[in-house]
Amino acid sequence: MDLPSATSAGELRGLAERIRQGDASAETELVHEFTHRIFVMGVVRTHDREAARELVQDILMAVIGALRKGQLQDADKLAAFVHGTARNLINNQLRSASQRPPMEPLPEDLAQACRAEQLEDAERMRLVHQAMEGFGQEDRKILLMTLVDGHKPGEIAAALGLTSEVVRTRKLRALKKVTELIRKKMSRT
Amino acid sequence: MNCKEVEERDILEAYLLDRLTEPEREEFEKHYFECGSCFSQLQTGLALQTELRRQPAMPTCARGASLLRAWVWAPAFATIIILLSAGLWWNSAHNRPPSQQVAAPPRVSPNVPIQVQSTAAAPSLEELARVEPPLYSAMVLRDAEDESHETFHKAMQFYVNRNYTKAIPGVRAAVKASPQTASFNFYLGACYLLAGQTDAAIVAFRQTISLGDPAYSESAHFYLAKAYLRRKDVARAKDELQKTVHFHGSMEAEATEILRQLRK
Repeated sequence: MDLPSATSAGELRGLAERIRQGDASAETELVHEFTHRIFVMGVVRTHDREAARELVQDILMAVIGALRKGQLQDADKLAAFVHGTARNLINNQLRSASQRPPMEPLPEDLAQACRAEQLEDAERMRLVHQAMEGFGQEDRKILLMTLVDGHKPGEIAAALGLTSEVVRTRKLRALKKVTELIRKKMSRT
Repeated sequence: MNCKEVEERDILEAYLLDRLTEPEREEFEKHYFECGSCFSQLQTGLALQTELRRQPAMPTCARGASLLRAWVWAPAFATIIILLSAGLWWNSAHNRPPSQQVAAPPRVSPNVPIQVQSTAAAPSLEELARVEPPLYSAMVLRDAEDESHETFHKAMQFYVNRNYTKAIPGVRAAVKASPQTASFNFYLGACYLLAGQTDAAIVAFRQTISLGDPAYSESAHFYLAKAYLRRKDVARAKDELQKTVHFHGSMEAEATEILRQLRK
């Protein structure tokens, strides 16, 4: 399953140029494209959802500011540029959380786009909860032992009396099933 | 990195569990910043992980199997626990300096040394990750007491009674009111760690370290190492233990011993 990104490489390239030219709608598109990615990256690196939410705004503002000034040399590398900016700001936050200067807040329309992403996040959590209720006990165990306890497929297989291949397949199948459910339900709204 | 590699090497799970090396993490992040499919699955994985952590613990077969094995060994464990408890009681009754029995500055005493015989097999990561609660003795400076300290001391009563989960809201409120106070951050980390909320503990200990208060830096590095051990992140645990050793303080011996065990 190799679905294309919501925005194609060509569109991303154009986005950077449009922001440089002062197109406000391009900034909103950028927010839509990267908010979730930055948020997930922030959660994984800081282990703190609230801190990650705050960081999303700082990072987007930094990226938009740089793009407005035409600081991105190679428009093909917009995703890498956003990732690099996010990594640096998250690392700064981890190093000196208390000394971090307050960043300029996002303009209201962009902040609103961010809030819409937060609602999507809540909806995703609701759908995951719903999907998990439909899982069998063994699939739940596999997910729990993988994503929370951090066991390898071989270890889970030994504990559950399965083969590692079966564990791996069932784990991937569960993950893809929930991803597909979320995609379907959320594309309707 | 490509989608196939992500799937075959269980990269997504390792990323969510913070077990990738920095270059691997970078590479995967660069990949999912451009790959819609992998990012969708990562989002689902994160949501599943959050949901599973929220749900009450359910016994897994592995846990069941461990319990079964533990039951078979129960008499031996019980004997060891009785002997250790007796030893600890004797030690605390005879060797504790009097200054720790009265109100003292909020400093962390050396942790109880891990009970590892040199002739025994290397202890498991779970054993090495075990923590004893850092000692807490309130020093109440009546004149200097502000609201955040009051909140903190009240919450720490739960801590003293070993109810770490109940202590968390109050200690967190104290941190919010006074984020620069290292002791608040440190004990928040300790509460999280003892309540089994390892990720949150890591954040709080890192924050304590970033504040640079010498009274808490060594302990924060040590307990951060314990948190990493609990997450089986041996590389980061070793790094934090080495930092603990560099302080040459009260935790040097125990940190050195754990490092030695990890090298086995």
